[in-house]
Amino acid sequence: MKGYLQIHDPLKPKGSVVGIDLGTTNSLVAAVIDGKARCLPADEGDGLLLPSVVHYADNGSVVVGKYAAQLLPQFPHDTIKSVKRFMGKSLGDVETKKLGAYQFATGKGVVRFQVKGGQPVTPIEVSGEILRQLKRKAESYFAGKVEQAVITVPAYFDDAQRQATRDAGRLAGLEVLRLLNEPTAAALAYGLDKGVQGVYAVYDLGGGTFDISILELIDGVFQVKSVGGDSALGGDDFDRAIVQKLMTARGISEPTPQQVASMLQLAQGAKERLTDSETTTLDFEGTPFPVSRADFNEWISSLLAKTGASVRRAIKDAGLTVEQVKGVVLVGGSTRVPAVRSYVAELFGKPALADIDPDQVVALGAAIQADLLTNEARKDEVLLLDVIPLSLGLETMGGVAEKLIPRNSAIPIAQAQVFTTFQDGQTGMDIHVVQGERELVADNRSLARFRLAGIPPMAAGMGRVQVIFRVDADGILSVAAKEETTGLEQKITVKPSHGLTDEEIEQMLLDSIDHAEDDMQRRMLAEQRVEAERLLMDGAKQLKENGDLLSADERKSFEQQLTRLAQITRTETDHEALKAAITEVDGLARPFVERIMDRAIGKAAVGHRMEDF
Amino acid sequence: MTHFDLFNLAPSVDLDVAALETQHRKLAMEWHPDRAGSDHHARRLAAEKSAALNDAIKVLKDPVRRAFYVLELKGVKLDSDQSAARVKMPMDFLEEIMEQREALDAVKATRKLDVAHVMAVKIRDARDKTLEQAQRALRRDDVPAATTALGRVRYYTRFLEEVDAFEEELLS
Repeated sequence: MKGYLQIHDPLKPKGSVVGIDLGTTNSLVAAVIDGKARCLPADEGDGLLLPSVVHYADNGSVVVGKYAAQLLPQFPHDTIKSVKRFMGKSLGDVETKKLGAYQFATGKGVVRFQVKGGQPVTPIEVSGEILRQLKRKAESYFAGKVEQAVITVPAYFDDAQRQATRDAGRLAGLEVLRLLNEPTAAALAYGLDKGVQGVYAVYDLGGGTFDISILELIDGVFQVKSVGGDSALGGDDFDRAIVQKLMTARGISEPTPQQVASMLQLAQGAKERLTDSETTTLDFEGTPFPVSRADFNEWISSLLAKTGASVRRAIKDAGLTVEQVKGVVLVGGSTRVPAVRSYVAELFGKPALADIDPDQVVALGAAIQADLLTNEARKDEVLLLDVIPLSLGLETMGGVAEKLIPRNSAIPIAQAQVFTTFQDGQTGMDIHVVQGERELVADNRSLARFRLAGIPPMAAGMGRVQVIFRVDADGILSVAAKEETTGLEQKITVKPSHGLTDEEIEQMLLDSIDHAEDDMQRRMLAEQRVEAERLLMDGAKQLKENGDLLSADERKSFEQQLTRLAQITRTETDHEALKAAITEVDGLARPFVERIMDRAIGKAAVGHRMEDF
Repeated sequence: MTHFDLFNLAPSVDLDVAALETQHRKLAMEWHPDRAGSDHHARRLAAEKSAALNDAIKVLKDPVRRAFYVLELKGVKLDSDQSAARVKMPMDFLEEIMEQREALDAVKATRKLDVAHVMAVKIRDARDKTLEQAQRALRRDDVPAATTALGRVRYYTRFLEEVDAFEEELLS
């Protein structure tokens, strides 16, 4: 409510647009100000990095950022960290279990965290809280509304993960101008800052995701040639590698959630210290555990090798060789680890570029894209041509996935394919949309199922159904199916089975608006209570000092009024009713107040006279 | 409208790819939905045009796809299994390719990527030579000869895709 009292500066742009890096570990918000992108304060105390940690308290209040991170060891169930790893996932999906000490609500579909203070929350809502905090901080920076944003996602995010991110933006009250791939954002920040041309690789190792993109920059067009990566590999895994060794060393096989949280925190600290020193020690439960950089490098070497495989594949997909890559850009806090830098340098045969802060570069790129999309003057400067990260296809006979749009196709894109009926008199066709590279449907990600019904009965092979896939500039898919003889058509925007339905999103938005009203009610009630308390105090004071101005009856009546108001103040929850009571007492006190005023004037006059002498 | 029309080009197997890419960037700048402002209809139209452009560049940039497309414009569509099945391939060719596929399966079982690579080099060489035959046939408008040659290219391409898939499997 800070902005409430701030005066709008007409020189500052109204309705500013921002770029948001919604990261696994940290989130940032940036904007282009006076033609230059810069990160804005994001956390309490005005740090630029907002730890992506959300704490749910007993009373239903929500804490985001470093304060939430401080609450993590104490409340491991109610404090959600690395929520990005759960985006677009179902409970059955993941390694969900290994990701923390959370308690999940049972049920199908989207993952729900069981936290204190109310209903179970989905990753979309948790991410929404992070976005809301960033929006709030940006609004207080600009002293004005922020309603539009470009939000970055790992290039490797699938359709479900992208939709979840866009929904989180909606929940936070942001119009998502574009979901921008993180490496593309980083390239944009470098490209515009340094004026580079040619083929570049962006190696992005964050807390929980690894992305590799191969881009070509020519004549103001940023063309993504290929992307790859692993949506469940990042610096958090380095921490976990340390924890594993620590547990083995201590013979811990079944740690408590508190132990896990505390070990992970210690491991993260040790990892960071090893960037500058050769050895370090972490102190767990009073006993030191020494770790050398050489040990650490060895523990993470298999993780690095996994990134190398993705890099080779992406270069191959781009139709290039490693020698043709002119430079490598490092993104993500985990690229500070010396072993990562030397691994990348070896992989590409050249040292990597890191002159823009790897923590900020994605947010800065997002801010530039937001500016490019909304600033009429910059419209013709740059164009981003992005690709779809994973192949999109349909289930065909025998559970085989038929690809309609292969991975690394430039977007937007549309592709149609005709399927024929396979049974005499068949009146419906099941359409099962899948995403992934594997042969069998079961090995890929199921995005949606729907049924085209109402096909007129005809001989097998005569019914022809055309299925059209359209992928928009955000990389989000919609599917239409059309029976060709009747023109019968059905369209759906693919809503992943592990996402939230539009209805659920609407409900959450309504709830948050309801909450906003509750909050407003509470604030107004609090204000009226303060008002009432002031009146009661004044009344008591005046009775004491000027009570002689009232008759016994008047005094008794006034005292009764004050007692009544005191009671209402304690019990009334409707601010309107309280306000009415205050006005009433105020009115009744009026004759008394007038007499007091008269006396005061008299006193003042007397005083004057005395002073004059 | 054909892919060639989009770029204002006459259908041909011979294209200056660098010039094509320059023109693609120019058109992409012009047609991208980001340039269409906020009007819903204009954005939709831009998305459709961009999608058509993306499809066109993908086909035209690649000499193999381009040759198939030129043949398609001449009335022979080889891109689906049904239509391709109508093209009669010589028995000795089919036997040869079958042997190669069996050899590849054996190599896959032993997980020897370098051996698969050696096989791929040979096949790619054969594919490129056959593609040249197809291109020559298309230049002189000899549709039957082009069809036979591209029919073979199809089998070679399938083989190379299988090697790629094998490599990917080993990488991941």
